Amino acid sequence: MNPRIREAGLLLTIVALMLLLAWRTTGFFSAANLTDLFLANMPVMMIAVGMMMVILTGEIDISVGSIFAISSVVMGKCASTGVPIWLSGLIACAVGVLLGALNGRLIAYVRIPSIVATLATMVALRDGLRWYTQGSWIQGLPAGFQWFGMSQSGFTGLCVVAVVLITGLTALGLRNLRMGRAIVATGSNRMAACAAGIDARRVVFGVFAVTGGLAGLSAVLNSVRFNQIPSNSGLGLELKVIAAVAVGGAAITGGSATMTGTVLGVILLSCIGSALTFLGINAYWEKAIQGGIILIAVAADTLKLQRRDHAKTLPA
Amino acid sequence: MQRHFRPKLRLTGIQWALVAALLLEVILFSIESPAFLTWVNLMEILRFSVELGLLAVALTPILITGGIDLSVGSTVGLVAVTFGMAWQHLHLPLLGALALALLVGCLCGAVNALLIAYLDLPALIITLGTYSLYRGIAEGITRASVSVTGYPSGFLLLGQGYFWSIPIQVFVFLFLLVFYAVLLHRSKIGRALYAIGFNAEGARYAGLPVRRYLALIYLLSGAVSGVAAIVYVSHLGLAKSDLGTGFELQAITAIVIGGTSVFGGRGNLFGSVLGLLFLCVLQNGLHLLAAPSEATGVLTGMLLIAVVATDLLNDKRPALSERWMRWKKPLLVAAGAVVVVLAVVLVGLERSSRSEAGAASGPRRPVIAVMPKAKGDPYFISARAGAEQAAKELGVDLIWDGPTSLDASMQNELVESWITRGVDAIVVAVENKGSISTVLRKARQHHIAVLTWDADAEPDARDYFLNQATPEAIANTLADEGARLLNGKGQFAIVTGALSAENQNQWIAFIKARVAERYPQMKLATVLPSDDDRDKAFSQTQNIMKVYPDVKLVIAISAPAVPGAAEAVQQSGGRVDVIGLSLPTICRPYIHSGVVQTIVLWNTRDLGYLTVYAGWLTSQKKIAPNATTVSAGRLGSLEIKGSEIILGRPMIINKGNIDRLDF
Repeated sequence: MNPRIREAGLLLTIVALMLLLAWRTTGFFSAANLTDLFLANMPVMMIAVGMMMVILTGEIDISVGSIFAISSVVMGKCASTGVPIWLSGLIACAVGVLLGALNGRLIAYVRIPSIVATLATMVALRDGLRWYTQGSWIQGLPAGFQWFGMSQSGFTGLCVVAVVLITGLTALGLRNLRMGRAIVATGSNRMAACAAGIDARRVVFGVFAVTGGLAGLSAVLNSVRFNQIPSNSGLGLELKVIAAVAVGGAAITGGSATMTGTVLGVILLSCIGSALTFLGINAYWEKAIQGGIILIAVAADTLKLQRRDHAKTLPA
Repeated sequence: MQRHFRPKLRLTGIQWALVAALLLEVILFSIESPAFLTWVNLMEILRFSVELGLLAVALTPILITGGIDLSVGSTVGLVAVTFGMAWQHLHLPLLGALALALLVGCLCGAVNALLIAYLDLPALIITLGTYSLYRGIAEGITRASVSVTGYPSGFLLLGQGYFWSIPIQVFVFLFLLVFYAVLLHRSKIGRALYAIGFNAEGARYAGLPVRRYLALIYLLSGAVSGVAAIVYVSHLGLAKSDLGTGFELQAITAIVIGGTSVFGGRGNLFGSVLGLLFLCVLQNGLHLLAAPSEATGVLTGMLLIAVVATDLLNDKRPALSERWMRWKKPLLVAAGAVVVVLAVVLVGLERSSRSEAGAASGPRRPVIAVMPKAKGDPYFISARAGAEQAAKELGVDLIWDGPTSLDASMQNELVESWITRGVDAIVVAVENKGSISTVLRKARQHHIAVLTWDADAEPDARDYFLNQATPEAIANTLADEGARLLNGKGQFAIVTGALSAENQNQWIAFIKARVAERYPQMKLATVLPSDDDRDKAFSQTQNIMKVYPDVKLVIAISAPAVPGAAEAVQQSGGRVDVIGLSLPTICRPYIHSGVVQTIVLWNTRDLGYLTVYAGWLTSQKKIAPNATTVSAGRLGSLEIKGSEIILGRPMIINKGNIDRLDF
């Protein structure tokens, strides 16, 4: 049950992978590659922060990929029709929050199981977006769109600051704020949390809205890396994020997850794909290796620690 | 509460409502489309629901215990390729291959069972891992590109034949359905599964072998997925690593609509079958009404929420008498379902009124149905504009619909519904020739003009192939352009679409052949997938530039991959050339900036125009049997070679001519 053991194991795995990369390849640790790697996986990292909170409350959100796509398109549509870029970004984030809030509403107040509710919104939003855009890309974006009109390195700096702030503040908040404690409490035992005066429904509603907002924000930051916006982005994003959080040691039943673990999980899974290319391993095996890592990470956890309460950890 | 413990085969309130909604759906569709309520169409619906149905049946007990299995779709893919490879590459007899494949299915289930039941790991995460693992192994052993076809006709009967005019696989389904019904509703084990779903700890204290029963149902789920895979291979006549993608979520949707709770303890098999039928009828009906494919997803999502929400609404009123509950529940669900079905009808009415607006009186306008490989692909979107132009010019009705992502089975399903609907011409961009040819032959038997475009089917399955450029011509043009830029020597890399995409794999093979033959000093460094995602193509190209510094040329062969690769080169300021196969609109900025030297393509708008025009000509019998040319509207006279209508050579698009192209 000690998350530190899991984190140490993860860290060791990452270090081993890094050593292998340092030994067998050149250029993986160049500043350019690390920057590229960071930018490519920024959406996963940001959404993973929200997903971790969702999983902490014992719920799950598989609609983030669709929300990501919709926010990207909203961002593009606004910017290409002459709305100032910062305002377009805000609108796109707001749309993310709104869609997340829709999920939250359905789950916390209508009490639909989260996997069912977000499965429904995932399918409906994705197909709705396809219906609306008919697959066409958004072009004709204004000149200052790419990198918010900043330099490339300036934009990268902004993203680093954003990610550090989001992860850091969330970690602190989960530990020290009343809100944060409420999230952990709701996940570890909902009845007890309610008895202690926590409005569990508001907590659940909140984490879904925040996750939607983070999906929107990451979509905004991701779209300005380019000068046109495809309408079908973020396919399969939800699985990447959930896998990273799970590898990071979050208990799917709620109540237990750490920010360190989540960050390490994201780092491990995002390095794998790129590492395969650097090591010259055939891309055909990428999915199998990712699946294997998820299984090993989750299985290793229980093999190390003899759990006594078997029944509690049965699929629920 | 005691009532819930008795795993009965009786329908619950929600399920009665679902029966009502299903009937309502059937009535509305038969009013809207006369072809709907025919024996042939109903049997087709059944045929297409068997694979999904098998998975839904296998998943129901798992959901009842409060678990989940996301790996069933991937298991289908892995078993299918094991079967195909064992038969064709290991030369096992068909039955031997079948046994081996089913064994692999059981093995997949056994891994899940071991990890979930005996190591107490959460089912969601474990099966998410095996979801990726099984699909990955399927891609790895086939290098994602092998697709096995050419099965003996005896085997194909299983998925394509009839017995008493009922599709044969329906009997397989019924057999397993009865087996599961007995297991879940008439046996000790079934009763235990409900107990586990209510409270696993309690079940254990009650002396039930929780682990063994859980292991059993996960193992069975793997085995049944294996059976579904065999039926699917026989149905499509094709084994490929991407079969069954997304099946898990569709199956879970059907189960949940049928009233099974994902929290466990509640639900039954009848519900799952009803939910499945409801979804399959919805999809079939929407196709017959020629509503766009996307409508199915939007409506399914709404329906899912409506059903579960109305079901839950009742729980808020525990004070009400049980008698009242029993009658109130179905009413509420029916209300929810009716809203959704009404939405369906509105879509249908809106569509039919739009198509009838032009021809309120006078003769029936010919209907030309054109199918792209994937609706969202920019390449096919630009072809659609040309198709609409031709339809307007000729005064015909155009149905433009296809899978939202590459999906051979969905193509078959659409062609089936078009045959039932009775269109005049079907023009298909073939995803997999092995699997679609049977259904295209059937369309020809129904006197529908059948043409193929973009990629061909078996020659005897269609009247004409609209040949925009052969895969070989495209590959040769790309290889020649590449050689010109590299002066015939040096390294290059390929960024492809999905690893399992048929077209792209053909092009890669021809590029390799051309390079080996003509440019021995050129070397292919690597082939990386972009999954038709611009952002992934971007990252892959960044990696290529770092890992293979000697690569001076990237050939990107999927429409979104070219701008992705180009942006990567542009941002790094590297001196790598990008060429590829893409659309002028999305590549224009890069061609102007000089990052992309050349893109190879034909005029997609003309191709779209030709699909409708040639479809119309063929359906009106306006092409003489031995004609060598055909006059195709604004395209002028086109050459006919055998049964191929030649659009022209691929265009080489560069700085010089890109601004004259508007597609």
